[in-house]
Amino acid sequence: MVAQGIPEETGYILFLFAATIALVIVVRIVISPKDPRPTPEKRAPFESGQISSGAGRTRFIIQYYPYILMFVVYDVIAMFLFAWALNLRALGAAGTLPILVFMLVALPPLAYALHLANRRENW
Amino acid sequence: MGNPIIDLLTNTYFLEIVVFPGLTSIAILGALLGWLERKLTARVQLRIGPQYASPAGGILQMFADIIKLLFKEVTIPEGADTFFFIMAPVTALIIGAALLGLIPFAPGIQIANIQVGLPVFLAIVTLSPTLVLLAGWSANSKFPFIGGLRALFQQTAYEIPLWLSTLGVVMVAGTLSLTGIVQYQQNSGWLIVPQLLGALLFIITSTAEMERLPFDLPEAESEIMMGWQAEYPGPLFMLVQGPAFVKLYAFSALFTTLYLGGYLGPSPIPPILWFFAKTLLVIVLIMLFRSTFPRVRLDQLLRQGWTTLLTLSIINIIIAYFLVVGFPAI
Repeated sequence: MVAQGIPEETGYILFLFAATIALVIVVRIVISPKDPRPTPEKRAPFESGQISSGAGRTRFIIQYYPYILMFVVYDVIAMFLFAWALNLRALGAAGTLPILVFMLVALPPLAYALHLANRRENW
Repeated sequence: MGNPIIDLLTNTYFLEIVVFPGLTSIAILGALLGWLERKLTARVQLRIGPQYASPAGGILQMFADIIKLLFKEVTIPEGADTFFFIMAPVTALIIGAALLGLIPFAPGIQIANIQVGLPVFLAIVTLSPTLVLLAGWSANSKFPFIGGLRALFQQTAYEIPLWLSTLGVVMVAGTLSLTGIVQYQQNSGWLIVPQLLGALLFIITSTAEMERLPFDLPEAESEIMMGWQAEYPGPLFMLVQGPAFVKLYAFSALFTTLYLGGYLGPSPIPPILWFFAKTLLVIVLIMLFRSTFPRVRLDQLLRQGWTTLLTLSIINIIIAYFLVVGFPAI
């Protein structure tokens, strides 16, 4: 069936999907309200009823930046543990020694980074 | 081969994708979960909740809301990046629905039975804070921008404990396939018994991942006005709200699969009903979090995520290790 290109079922599924979306769009065109000339107030960004001022995409203080740096490093390390965990029965206690050394190398820097990141004066 | 339309409508694969556990059932269950959440929260807080949309306790309220939202006017804020503003919630909805394709609902009822189901589920989930940041950035407004940044920071707090809490299940069951994990529990009992700490960590971190109270910082209504959802007009707001309920359903189904034995249960009741009974229990538990707990602050979440949750998940790995390899003789 794959050799013949798109199978028949997939064609029907795509047709039903497209037909549903087309129906919604057509009914929307007929019955939903439409404002040809929206006023500037209507299009302004929401700022709790105040007149909005300045750009929306401003510079922002990223005070928790150390956590992001730690995440970039340790999220990848956490992935390696899955390969070990999957084969734990086959590896046994002997195969755990490298992962133990790995964790002993990886965790003290994490503790030090946390110590620095949790200090309020560094934010 | 007779009539092609009859063939199509009785095709198992078609039925799985379009009817159950695919798109139609996700839409209906998502709307019903929205009603359940509103009704349950109202009852806990001594209110009445949805009442008028049907004879039975307003159960059709969310369907009425969907129809209303679908045909409202679309107003894009000035200076917004229209393409990303619209595509971010659409992509989030696709991601949420893709999660449910991996769950084994009953023996044979599973869209994608792949060998690495659990990491694929978690990897797909990882994309959603990026989409939240994209939605917040493209709106060109201050509240959505702050909400998007909060989603990014929140991810750094819960992501690693979420992965490591499921690692205990992988170690004990010895497989990454979700069907394999359920079959392991058929022989040796539910994994919530040896992995109680892991189950607790999983439900805390998955609540944070779903952005539900007490961790709904990116969309805190009372602080930053729904955060990244603030600028979305009617039909797009429906698309933004949809993934929240789809992800609640998907994560409760994953919790059931990993820790509560999935579709396993005594024989007279069919497996699919066992699965939905357990999933509903988890959903109600997570909804009760919402109606009882106050919201945490961002720095509290980051600090607890990187200290308490991470330490407990490493302790959980050590427990799982000794369960598999055996306790050392002293």
